[in-house]
Amino acid sequence: MENKIPLRDPSKVMKLERLGSFHQSRLSFSRQLINEIINNKWIFNISEWNINNNGVGHAVISANSNKDIFSLVIFCHSIRDDERSDRVIADKWDMTFSLFKGAPNKKEIAHMSQNLKVQELGRHLSKQLTLSRANKSLRIFEKVIEALSSGKQPSHNLINDIGYLVRTTAVYGNGKFGIGDFSEIQNQKFLKKPFQAEMLTVYLIRYFSIELVNFLSKIKGGSKAVRLSEILSKHLGVGNATGLGMAPFLVNHQELLNKWINAKETALSRVFSLNKISASKQNNIINIIEQAFKYTLQWKVNDPLQTNRIKILNTELKFIINDVSTKKILNQSYPLKTLFDFFNNKISIETQEMLHSIFLEPFSEIIDDLTNNMSAIEKNTVPVNFTVDEIIKIIEKNYKWALDIDIKKDKENYYFWYTSQAKLEPRLGIRKKDIGSEKELPFDIPHQIQNALTILKMLPKSTSASEAMIGYPKIRNIIRRVIINNFSPYSEIQDNLIGSKTKPIDMLRCKLSFFGASKYDPKSNLWTRITLFQGAPLPHQLKKQDESDLLFPSLSLNN
Amino acid sequence: MLQLSLNEIFSETQKALRSVNIEWGIAKDCATLSRWLAIHDQYFLGSILKTIEMYKNQKFSLSLEKNNREKPLPATLMGTLLVEYISVKKEWKGYIHNPKFLVAAMGLIAEEQQINLELSDKRNKVIAITNNKKLYANYNKLTTSTDYFVLRINNIPDISKLNEILISKKLKLSNVNNKCWAKLKEMAFETYVPESETSISGAGY
Repeated sequence: MENKIPLRDPSKVMKLERLGSFHQSRLSFSRQLINEIINNKWIFNISEWNINNNGVGHAVISANSNKDIFSLVIFCHSIRDDERSDRVIADKWDMTFSLFKGAPNKKEIAHMSQNLKVQELGRHLSKQLTLSRANKSLRIFEKVIEALSSGKQPSHNLINDIGYLVRTTAVYGNGKFGIGDFSEIQNQKFLKKPFQAEMLTVYLIRYFSIELVNFLSKIKGGSKAVRLSEILSKHLGVGNATGLGMAPFLVNHQELLNKWINAKETALSRVFSLNKISASKQNNIINIIEQAFKYTLQWKVNDPLQTNRIKILNTELKFIINDVSTKKILNQSYPLKTLFDFFNNKISIETQEMLHSIFLEPFSEIIDDLTNNMSAIEKNTVPVNFTVDEIIKIIEKNYKWALDIDIKKDKENYYFWYTSQAKLEPRLGIRKKDIGSEKELPFDIPHQIQNALTILKMLPKSTSASEAMIGYPKIRNIIRRVIINNFSPYSEIQDNLIGSKTKPIDMLRCKLSFFGASKYDPKSNLWTRITLFQGAPLPHQLKKQDESDLLFPSLSLNN
Repeated sequence: MLQLSLNEIFSETQKALRSVNIEWGIAKDCATLSRWLAIHDQYFLGSILKTIEMYKNQKFSLSLEKNNREKPLPATLMGTLLVEYISVKKEWKGYIHNPKFLVAAMGLIAEEQQINLELSDKRNKVIAITNNKKLYANYNKLTTSTDYFVLRINNIPDISKLNEILISKKLKLSNVNNKCWAKLKEMAFETYVPESETSISGAGY
């Protein structure tokens, strides 16, 4: 379709403050998985259940896509409460998992029984597509069993306040620790889309967690026990604790970042370019704003900064709902663009980005095709037809933001990124305080840009970029980035990632919004808890296509 | 023998190269070539370990002009840059260490940018040619040692000159020697930093 409204400029979109305000949308990967399993009528089956009365043992859940079979292999362990930790440094978990391609045989199950429990320290099979672990949420798990075993449903408030029974602390994919490489599974159409193996893993973990509390409640309560209600089951997602390990991904995978942001910006441009929308779509928009309002009322966190942002978000959504102009504008020309422009200067970035997610929601017919173009085949060679003069011009045009930073100032060199010895995960150190800055990861983009520009300006203009890089190998890394950025304008975060003002949580939030995370619950600038698949249908609820709770799940809190 | 994923090969190789301060962009190129060789069922690990040792002992020249048998250009590190350079400059002659990695780079650029190159030895005997995104090579000539080579653009390739054809095998895994891999991982480990108070407290432990 023709887009009359152009895509937003990368200089507006690629700022950490905005990326850190993104919300889940119908383009998110968890949503893509739900669409896949509904559209292709996937069949789910608990094929093995060897869990004992104490909740220890193993189980296998199979997912049949009608083309392939995937199995979630689950091991439940007995651990003490004090051994349970959210963070990646833990070495024991309540549950360990792997998504297996096909149905595992006894030998493969035996191998996994020894290796899954030690996670990173094990050697894993190439048929394993993911590796994951989770802990029970102490705040809710036993209380739900207590209620169900005595024939009662747990309180809606309890279910809503926590939102999940188990919380994963890592979901590894793409060849980590010997598991299958992403490049080798791309012949399967659904796995070509980003993070679908990881999303399927989390979706099946969620199903397992609900079946587990039903099973344990039945063991405890016998004939008195009831199953968790459909409404409460649907409102439970899977929790996830996410830290810095996720942040460098956006720096290391430029083409992929560009594809994700480009898909979102194209979707926005398409809906903004709609000249008229039907009365039913107008009502949809109003309903979704109201759902978003309810969602924000139930989004409660301890972090004072995020609490304030949610409060403002809530107030501004109410303001939009109550403003008489809203309905009027929706009935005018270019309704969504006009409505956005009408409120744009009166609302926070968090609300602006939520409006974007709201506007995309009712327009599957003009948006969903974009999900087929959100993965990237990353190039390994640098395009050869660039001269030094051309590279300088690209830098001056696309990296003005980096040239404007005074890289000599201490505050612009405050942090350094490194890989931790303890868990092989990326971490952030303070340059003047912590050891190891000589081993820092190359995330100082403005510094590399300015140094490269100095070198390039010394060379004859007609020198080829490859010749310049052979003469000065240290600029190879940044010249590659610059050339990628020339073709992929949304491939670079336009902030100094080692500056004192950097908040890595913004990078996490950006990536997590594409995962489809909801209820961001920041625990510091460095890590957050989130919920995935809250409001999504469970395997037995898939037949009834109901998208109402997918974007902004909320629960009636009357009981 | 140990079975590795391609991701492990790429990431550990890149880190090991960084442990001797090889520039980020060059380390990435070399790790990519290692992964390419693994996909095509070719040994790479011994060459990487040797490259690191020779680099540390300054036995390489990174200059296109100033190289000789004693200080050759390492194809492990410079292979990708060299094929990119020749795509513009048309021809280059000189001493190359480990031409197998240069052939890998020829395969990569043929696939990604459809640039056809020809690698010949000092007697002008063709060793490898790329054509139509495919790589044809004479395996016997692909030693891991140093020799004089000519790399040039060739838009009219004659593949009949070659004894063997290297076809993309696309293996899922690569088998490597446990001891060599342990040595590489040890080097990779040198790029890691002990956790600081800042990161531990901030990460919510």
